[in-house]
Amino acid sequence: MSEVVLRQVPGLPALYRDAVLLAARRRFRGAAVPLTVPEIRYRADGVRVEARALTAFQHLLGEPARDTLPSAYVHAVAFPVAMSLLARPDFPLPLLGMVHLGNTVQQSRSIAVSERLDIVASAENLRAHRAGTQVDVVTEVSVEGVPVWTGRSVYLTRSVLLPATADTPTPDRPAETPFAPPVPTAVWRFDGSAGRRYAAVSGDWNPIHLSAFSAKALGMKRSIAHGMYLAARMLAQACPGPTDDLRWSIDFATPVLLPGMVAVAFTDATPSGNLQGTPREGKQLPESGLPGRSRPGGAGGTGSAHPDVTPAGRVRTDIVGWSRERSRPHFTGRVERSA
Amino acid sequence: MPEQASPTSAPVRQAVVIGGNRIPFARSGGAYAYSSNQDMLIAALDGLVARFGLQGERIGEVAAGAVLKHSRDFNLTREAVLGSALSPATPAYDVQQACATGLETVVGLANKIKLGQIDSGIAGGVDSASDAPIAVSEGLRRVLLDFSRARTTQQKIRTLAGLRPKDLAPNAPTTGEPRTGLSMGEHQALTTAAWEISREAQDELAFRSHSNLAAAYERGFFSDLVTPYRGVTKDANLRADTSLEKLATLKPVFGKALPTPATMTAGNSTPLTDGASVVLLGSEDYARAHNLPMLANVVDAEAAAVDFVNGKEGLLMAPVYALPRLLQRNSLTLADFDFFEIHEAFAGTVLSSLAAWENDDFCRNQLGLEGALGTIDRAKLNVNGSSLAAGHPFAATGGRIVASLAKALSEKGSGRGLISVCAAGGQGVVAILEAR
Repeated sequence: MSEVVLRQVPGLPALYRDAVLLAARRRFRGAAVPLTVPEIRYRADGVRVEARALTAFQHLLGEPARDTLPSAYVHAVAFPVAMSLLARPDFPLPLLGMVHLGNTVQQSRSIAVSERLDIVASAENLRAHRAGTQVDVVTEVSVEGVPVWTGRSVYLTRSVLLPATADTPTPDRPAETPFAPPVPTAVWRFDGSAGRRYAAVSGDWNPIHLSAFSAKALGMKRSIAHGMYLAARMLAQACPGPTDDLRWSIDFATPVLLPGMVAVAFTDATPSGNLQGTPREGKQLPESGLPGRSRPGGAGGTGSAHPDVTPAGRVRTDIVGWSRERSRPHFTGRVERSA
Repeated sequence: MPEQASPTSAPVRQAVVIGGNRIPFARSGGAYAYSSNQDMLIAALDGLVARFGLQGERIGEVAAGAVLKHSRDFNLTREAVLGSALSPATPAYDVQQACATGLETVVGLANKIKLGQIDSGIAGGVDSASDAPIAVSEGLRRVLLDFSRARTTQQKIRTLAGLRPKDLAPNAPTTGEPRTGLSMGEHQALTTAAWEISREAQDELAFRSHSNLAAAYERGFFSDLVTPYRGVTKDANLRADTSLEKLATLKPVFGKALPTPATMTAGNSTPLTDGASVVLLGSEDYARAHNLPMLANVVDAEAAAVDFVNGKEGLLMAPVYALPRLLQRNSLTLADFDFFEIHEAFAGTVLSSLAAWENDDFCRNQLGLEGALGTIDRAKLNVNGSSLAAGHPFAATGGRIVASLAKALSEKGSGRGLISVCAAGGQGVVAILEAR
């Protein structure tokens, strides 16, 4: 695998602009792109985090402005490196119109604001999805040669279809489990400018999040909330403390249109007996048929790296967010950390 | 000369409740719509001063607070003391523990008295839902702060250029929990549903609150506990003529999105209220030297908090956890009490707490007890009315309860009373008073 070393982390607006130009070129010239993931990784070394930008991110998420990075912020810092790969003209799936299906992250220790981050991004596992083609983007963040944060993001493109072969049949649509909303423990309200505000703190200026006008230009009904905004909020609430030995994942089902309201349920899913003295046998509303980990992406999902068993000494919180009006899930997530 | 310590407690002296005073509570936007927190706290203090002859008196310390507080009121209690008839040499400090503010001021000052740091203290609280602070938007605030730090004209212009039209819209306070976005009523609706508290049981509790408060006014119970203010002589929320039938006609306001039927109405939930209350505390020596009554001893108190953020417990259930710890430390059971003052944030809060203490599984698994904590005799519960009838100006509720309970104990001449107050942020404080 070859490597492209970025001397500085590129700005996302420029990457999106290039993507628009590239999409236009592809449309008019019909350039054929091979349906394989380029054997190349992108690297940016010694990336610094700016304290002021970090504070703005933490405040937007309602987190205390600690000197350690929220796990979702590491994603934001590393995102342009991954995007540089996705924006390549020979990348099989066009960047514009890509749908974010989910993330799985493992973080071994808290990362201090003063630490320099070495970021490497690569893509793998191009595969068929019932609605198109999906790919995994793996981002690894190291400090002084030791990996501290590894994230796998899954993206879907509807405009490209892989030819089904005997080995890789196109997955069928999974059987629809009717969604029975659980009892909410929180309500997240997103106003019309939520996309612009998250863009300002994360640097992700994808036009589908910015305004109804720019979103419509890309085929959306209205602008939608960043998936990572939902993930960051989920994390801010589920683990406001240090992020040592953290694993989390999120699967996105339907986008959150802006402005919008998301009903959210946080459930302690630590297996009983994992922690002594904290049984959870008290009164709770009956679980009203939570569909467990619904896999919006169908077979394959995010290729979650989570074992289904939470090891002893670890606590787990399951999260589901849904639309009250339409009674449809927006996302399901899981956060697991040391007790 | 230290006082005689009671044989069962550590060698500290007693802190006694001498008396209390409050202004009648008014509904938000009502008679006190244009009165500030400082106005109302001074009114309550002046009534106390008049009742106990404290004009020009230097009190050991005054502690009070408000939940909805203007930033200009950073020294609210000291400013109220300066505006009152007390000696300007009386020091003061502010406390904020959401709805437990008032009770916590009593606990803190009682402890200082017990330790001999002060001989007298005035505890209290005030809140105005009418004269609520309204803040500028986060965007405007940023710009104004950056502007004040800018050195050059160029920097100043650049800062102001960052202002957006929507930044000019103000932020009003909400009763929403910062970490969940759910209002207190919506949180309680989850707990009410989890404990399967019926609409009828909640209306019944609300009805008793109104009839008990009305009866207490009728027999003059509040004549030395309340001073009229702004033409109001009785708690404006009191509906002496309400009935179970009338309460049953009200439409539910909370829990409407839950799978279970919504049961919480404006009748069995407390309204937003304005008001202030204060309590005079002292050592036995202080009371005797000033020829003042001694209504009850402040025995002990315990605070607790629960994790409602991750849905592990209901927002207002912390007192349920605090009580067994307090009872154990004092070697007491529920049977040792003659009065129970459980703050009625919502009827569902009181009934969920009672149900939890009666539940064997819950007490074993959540409270670590050997079995159910026990049942509270309804005839001993909130006998002179509580927040559903009187209203609930957040920080003023603790002082209302302490003064009323101390008087009830003094009237009875014996026994103990238990106070339980839930608070935002998943907190709660419980306390014990005993008759003298």
